[in-house]
Amino acid sequence: MADLKLVNIRKVYDKDVVSVKDFSLEIRDKEFLVLVGPSGCGKSTTLRMIAGLEEISGGDLFIGGKRVNDVPPKDRDIAMVFQNYALYPHMDVYNNMAFGLKLRKFKKDEIKKRVDNAAKILGLEDLLTRKPKALSGGQRQRVALGRAIVRDAEVFLMDEPLSNLDAKLRVQMRAEIQKLHRRLQTTTVYVTHDQTEAMTMATRLVVMKDGYIQQVGAPKEVYDEPNNVFVGGFIGSPAMNFLNGRLEENYFVMDDVKILVPEGKMKYLREQGYVGKEIILGVRPEDIHDEPLFLDFSPETKIKASIEVAELMGAEIILYSKVNDQDFVARVDARFSVAAGETVDLAFDLNKAHFFDKESELRIK
Amino acid sequence: MINQLRKIYSSLLVYSEGHDNLDSTYKWFVTGENEIIGIDEEELTSKDVSLLATFLLPYNINLPVPTDEERKWRNAIDSAESSAKFEIKNSYRFIYFSIKKNQIDPIVFKDAIHELFAKPVPILWGNGHEGIIIEEQTVYEDSISFEEIKDILMSDLYVKINFYIGSYKESLEDIAQYYHLLINAAKKVFIYTNKTVVTYIDAVPYLLINQIEPGLRSDIGKTVLQKYINDEETLKTIETFLQCNLNISETAKVLHMHRNSLQYRLDRFFEKTGIDIRQFHHAMTVYLALLAKK
Repeated sequence: MADLKLVNIRKVYDKDVVSVKDFSLEIRDKEFLVLVGPSGCGKSTTLRMIAGLEEISGGDLFIGGKRVNDVPPKDRDIAMVFQNYALYPHMDVYNNMAFGLKLRKFKKDEIKKRVDNAAKILGLEDLLTRKPKALSGGQRQRVALGRAIVRDAEVFLMDEPLSNLDAKLRVQMRAEIQKLHRRLQTTTVYVTHDQTEAMTMATRLVVMKDGYIQQVGAPKEVYDEPNNVFVGGFIGSPAMNFLNGRLEENYFVMDDVKILVPEGKMKYLREQGYVGKEIILGVRPEDIHDEPLFLDFSPETKIKASIEVAELMGAEIILYSKVNDQDFVARVDARFSVAAGETVDLAFDLNKAHFFDKESELRIK
Repeated sequence: MINQLRKIYSSLLVYSEGHDNLDSTYKWFVTGENEIIGIDEEELTSKDVSLLATFLLPYNINLPVPTDEERKWRNAIDSAESSAKFEIKNSYRFIYFSIKKNQIDPIVFKDAIHELFAKPVPILWGNGHEGIIIEEQTVYEDSISFEEIKDILMSDLYVKINFYIGSYKESLEDIAQYYHLLINAAKKVFIYTNKTVVTYIDAVPYLLINQIEPGLRSDIGKTVLQKYINDEETLKTIETFLQCNLNISETAKVLHMHRNSLQYRLDRFFEKTGIDIRQFHHAMTVYLALLAKK
């Protein structure tokens, strides 16, 4: 196993197109680190620089304490899994897993030992003589993972390995990869654009945008305390609501709508001089309530909302509405039935809400 | 023939054992009988090398020994004579590949490529890191795409590979032209795209833009994109919108942007430039301008 250290890593393509800008991070031994962000944020480029498939334009990369900027990929002791979990179509499962080792001139006994071990870990023992076309999607993906496991590498690098799978299989494989990581404890760097995948799998996650790290932290920490509007909106589904308004003494004001700000939050907003200024309120859909008890206790964070769309999800209902002509989404308990076209009382839990600076979009703390 | 040559070149060796025995101080050739022979470079003038190359195939010792099939294809490409042509059963296409220099043993690459197809495919090497794969058009239900091939090779061989896929041909007529045009095109297309698998269809706009002289190319970029020429954020939005087939919802999802914000950004672009990117002709013009800017 190994730790990784990225120090001021940069990637510049031709004509000064900068894909990754000053990326510094320590990835701990045995960690499952997820790089997440929208298309073009630089996450795959970062992973490929770690792999050695892209040259590093600036900065230093260390694996297990050794600087590897100029070490060829095959000598970095890594194993990779990519989006297309393709297998050699004319080889059986055993040979698909063994082939990478054969190319590296491993001895037959050693290959057998490693393939048998990987097959045992992944529950593929009964499928070793099958060709890929006789496997289900999930089994094929397990073989693709097996091809990485047999390398016995220090670090696993996975680039959107589940994005070609259907939704059901994706959930199943997510759990498989987590179990695998718990068992093997191999340091893993995993790239995805899917925030649910990131939240459910990561020991720590790195949210990226436009080549910059926006936030690094444990999933719950990033969810509960987003650094900025981007992170708040990216992590969580449905996304965090952002409402523009003005801060007045004790109230967040959107024209004729006034919402009471708890004293704890008001104190630091006041201290930082936000009273009288435009700011952004960020509130997660689950922190908007329609339960009578909550409404009774929160008369000054209550609004009248005309429901435009109500989506019943089973245990909960997603409500789409507007306040002061600004869209917002609430996630409420399905016990209280709400239908589109109704006007209902909803209350914001401002204790769990965040405020962001209008200019910098950074969270005020 | 070998004995006759040996009388002229006393250093002549016939390769018969392991690949490692090939001496890099020798010039190596493949005979018509697929034997590999080597002659000490000190015994050869450049005129000798040219002369020998008229009836022997020069051989790079770092490359796999060409198979009969590969020699047949090579002859068909290199020879102007119609006798070099042979009968083909199925349509075929050339796929150009390039790998970063000195990152892979061509013999290992060839082994891996052969395992991906139902039967061994001919590979014509240009040098140690690029060449042409010749793929016959067949209907195997378990064939895999070059996108998949790229990923599988990347995980097994630890190399980044570019593939440029040519069109299918039904005869060997104009094969030399097909071969050379494909290689020329392949060397240009990867300037314009980050994709590592590009087909001849994808490549058409890249090749058209590449034909334009630099002054005009720069002018197209400036004239069409106007004040947005250096606005990377807007240009990235527009490029993604084009890549998403002008689909607002899909683009908003990919960029993680609210669709109203995207709509607003496109409206602003229309207001400032008079270009409505939601119309095909305008979209095409902007696409070419974006390529011209690269």
